[in-house]
Amino acid sequence: MTRFILRRLLQSLVVVLLVTVIVFILLHLLPGGPARAQLGPKATAMAIANFNHQQGYDRPLLVQYWRWLTELATGNLGFSVSLNQSVLSLIGERLPKTLVLTVLSTLFALVVAIPLGVVQAVRRNRAADYMITFWAFVFYATPPFFLGVVLIVVFSVYLPILPAEAPQSSSLRVILSQPAGLILPVLTLALLTIAQFSRYMRSSVIENLAEDYVRTARSKGAGESVVLVRHVLRNSLIPIATLLGLSLPAIFSGALITEAVFNFPGMGQLFWTAAQTQDYPIMLGITVLVGLATVIGSLLADLAYAVLDPRVRFA
Amino acid sequence: MTPVVSIEDLHTDIALRRGVAHPVSGVSFTVNKGETLGVVGESGCGKTMTVLSIMRLLPPGGHISRGHIRFSDTDLAALEEDGMRAVRGTRVGMIFQDPMTSLNPCMTIGDQVAETVLLHRKVTRAQARQRAEEVLELVGLPRARERLDSYPHLLSGGMRQRVVIAMALACEPELLIADEPTTALDVTIQKQILRLIDELRARLGMAVILVTHDLGVVAGHTDRVAVMYAGKIVETSSTRELFANPRHPYTEALFRALPENVERDRALYAIPGLPPDLSNPPPGCRFAPRCGYATPECRAEEPKLTGDRHPFACFHPLGKAGQTAANPPAQPPRAQQGAPLLEVRNLVREFPVNSNGVLRRRIGTVSAVSDVSFGVRAGETFGLVGESGCGKSTVGRLLVADDAPTSGSITFAGTQITGQPQRALRELRRDFQLMFQDPYASLDPRMRVRSILREPLAIQRRGSAAEQERAVATLLDEVGLPRAALEKYPHEFSGGQRQRIGLARALALRPKLIVADEPVSALDVSVQAQILNLMRALQREYDLTYVFISHDLSVVRYIATTIGVMYLGKLVEIGPAEQVHATPVHPYTRGLIDSIPLADPEREQRKGQAGVRGELPSAFNPPSGCRFRTRCRLATEICAEEAPAMRRFSEQGQQAACHHPLRAAL
Repeated sequence: MTRFILRRLLQSLVVVLLVTVIVFILLHLLPGGPARAQLGPKATAMAIANFNHQQGYDRPLLVQYWRWLTELATGNLGFSVSLNQSVLSLIGERLPKTLVLTVLSTLFALVVAIPLGVVQAVRRNRAADYMITFWAFVFYATPPFFLGVVLIVVFSVYLPILPAEAPQSSSLRVILSQPAGLILPVLTLALLTIAQFSRYMRSSVIENLAEDYVRTARSKGAGESVVLVRHVLRNSLIPIATLLGLSLPAIFSGALITEAVFNFPGMGQLFWTAAQTQDYPIMLGITVLVGLATVIGSLLADLAYAVLDPRVRFA
Repeated sequence: MTPVVSIEDLHTDIALRRGVAHPVSGVSFTVNKGETLGVVGESGCGKTMTVLSIMRLLPPGGHISRGHIRFSDTDLAALEEDGMRAVRGTRVGMIFQDPMTSLNPCMTIGDQVAETVLLHRKVTRAQARQRAEEVLELVGLPRARERLDSYPHLLSGGMRQRVVIAMALACEPELLIADEPTTALDVTIQKQILRLIDELRARLGMAVILVTHDLGVVAGHTDRVAVMYAGKIVETSSTRELFANPRHPYTEALFRALPENVERDRALYAIPGLPPDLSNPPPGCRFAPRCGYATPECRAEEPKLTGDRHPFACFHPLGKAGQTAANPPAQPPRAQQGAPLLEVRNLVREFPVNSNGVLRRRIGTVSAVSDVSFGVRAGETFGLVGESGCGKSTVGRLLVADDAPTSGSITFAGTQITGQPQRALRELRRDFQLMFQDPYASLDPRMRVRSILREPLAIQRRGSAAEQERAVATLLDEVGLPRAALEKYPHEFSGGQRQRIGLARALALRPKLIVADEPVSALDVSVQAQILNLMRALQREYDLTYVFISHDLSVVRYIATTIGVMYLGKLVEIGPAEQVHATPVHPYTRGLIDSIPLADPEREQRKGQAGVRGELPSAFNPPSGCRFRTRCRLATEICAEEAPAMRRFSEQGQQAACHHPLRAAL
């Protein structure tokens, strides 16, 4: 098991390195460049050349990449000129907030979606199933910017019980001390996730209910609740584990649009700002982080498989 | 005799998207304490629905519409779900067909057996676990205590079925229902499991209902039999009486379709047509449309199940045994002289097993085929038999160059196939084709029959489009399918019809050799007879050579001219079919023959305990010397030390590789 994890982590490092190479090249192919974004449209060619020289952007790409990589090896993700702050501290400031948002919404979604899927499977093709299916598709099909705005209109304008904006503070403690401000952004994200997870859960439970071992359990005299909880649930959670693993990058990268709608100071917003100013160090830093989250997420999904399904064991 | 369960006029309906199916219509029987009732019939005759009705575990849409299931003082048909739950697992236990899927893959076997106890008895977890261990020992699971915490996937099929039996028996039920309990198992394991059920019945004094399609299983392991057809019992009596003197034409037809009693120069009796649609059964006797003895009366009025000791439902019952018509003659395959069409020399196929480390070191090999040699002459049928995992299918794939051997050679019509480049193989493949076990899985579900049959011709660029169309039409005629089949998709056909399509596809290029891998294993006995007859007729017409791979020695004895018996990658015995079957030399062949359930209670009883003990060892590091020695009663030290060489045992060419053959070598 440990050997398996070590091997996979090693493979992951290679994958993340390759991703950074590609992103590095793509970033430098973008027209404009950080100097123009930083110095404004009226900057002289001289000023731009100066800026590029200062930042080392006039050196060959390979040299730049190597420098970035050696810095990375010492734990330095670079410095953001536009925000006048080191990338590491920027991420350190934003990531916990995003995590509060995404982890809360994912947990909430799981808690709601798993029972919903089970109820749908048990009441398959009956009123309750059709109702849930209908709403799942509605939320699945609604873009978050629209859903977020609708929620704001309903809960902040018509019945003003919740704030329309997330708490604005650089301190996590302040944000957590105003939980009401988190409700709407969490809800926006969760509704989408619930819609997705409940569909998977429904089909997974339906599939498992038709399995022979369920009939065996019933033939032992097990009631429906025992059949569901003891036999079907664990077998049905296996595909959800994959889904969760695959959503890890989204958990780390934040929700670009939802954060924008609620003006939430998270990773999504940081990336948005960096993309507008073509701030290479921030974008690369986030790429590394999301890349790591992706490979670790799929590793975790595989490990969850092994825990849930005894047929999968790693040598 | 006290009846444990007594079923009266049971009717079960299943609501379908279109209409209602009546898989059980008016079934009555009783099962006494300590007795086994066999319920026999082809697939779709309602036997499984009958027992699922007793358990009240019908599929969605199913319900009992009429009748009683009297189980001591309660009527199970009228019991509420809560009351029914208290019956299932405690008073009625059930075993299912496929042990690979009927256990929860995510739960240890100890927990699964203990669950039955915990559900019904007020015991602690530790006590339930203790009971689980006892029951697992009772059903003969070796090292039961250690295995309590094993997950099902670590056990073989036979061992899993023992676990399923243990679950059913944990609370000592009065009635055990076994629905095709051995159909998914190898014949040697089948024998062990059926014997176990017999022993447990005697020991626990249970009543047993044994549902099966296999008349041989019924013959050896039941006291009474009920034959079902299209949702009704058509005949029922004591097992001995039924086999000695079948009265219903359907029962007779089932017997006549069995290859085991038919001489090789006779055709098998194939019941014409298909079982009726159970949502709209024909009026009168439901078997009349397929019955050779039917008169207008049969089609107008329904015969009632009447009689005292041996009731049957037929206006024109058959009389004494032997009165039935003889099977029509058929030309047996010709054993031909001359050079073999197919020559296999020292064939070896090993699959490397790699470690999971970064370097993927090779840690061993699975020896799937080990030093197999045989020859097949043009126009003959070579039967390759053995248990699952013996390497027979791997040999089949090697013969058609679907896989390359590790070493050894295959020569086909004078050309060596092994080592040929892909281009040359493409040419060669015209002459040898493969026919598969599962015609449903082996035909592309999104292709119409026309395209399926034309594809081989198109790939090999045989003729113009019009010529190909004509060839496809001819193929359909040959395999006995209507032209209308051309526009249909595979799922629109029955299993037998699909296998006809599979055969037509294999024939499309007019090959010289067809390798048929278990072509009739998925089929009912009457349909099996149709396919075997068809294969024989086509063989004569086109001078085909068959390699017929099967686990079923009765079928192979009937269809093959030469039999090769494989065990764990080795060819252990080979020779003329009749000779190998009648006077086998290798103890494994003998055991395999003894394991096959025969549709004859007397012979079954005489065979008694014979068979093969234990389970097939792993082909990963197989036993040294003779690979069969771990299961052989005759094995001595030399068997472990030295691999036996092939020796001749008859002038006709019977050969076997054994240190202790059942008779002396020449």
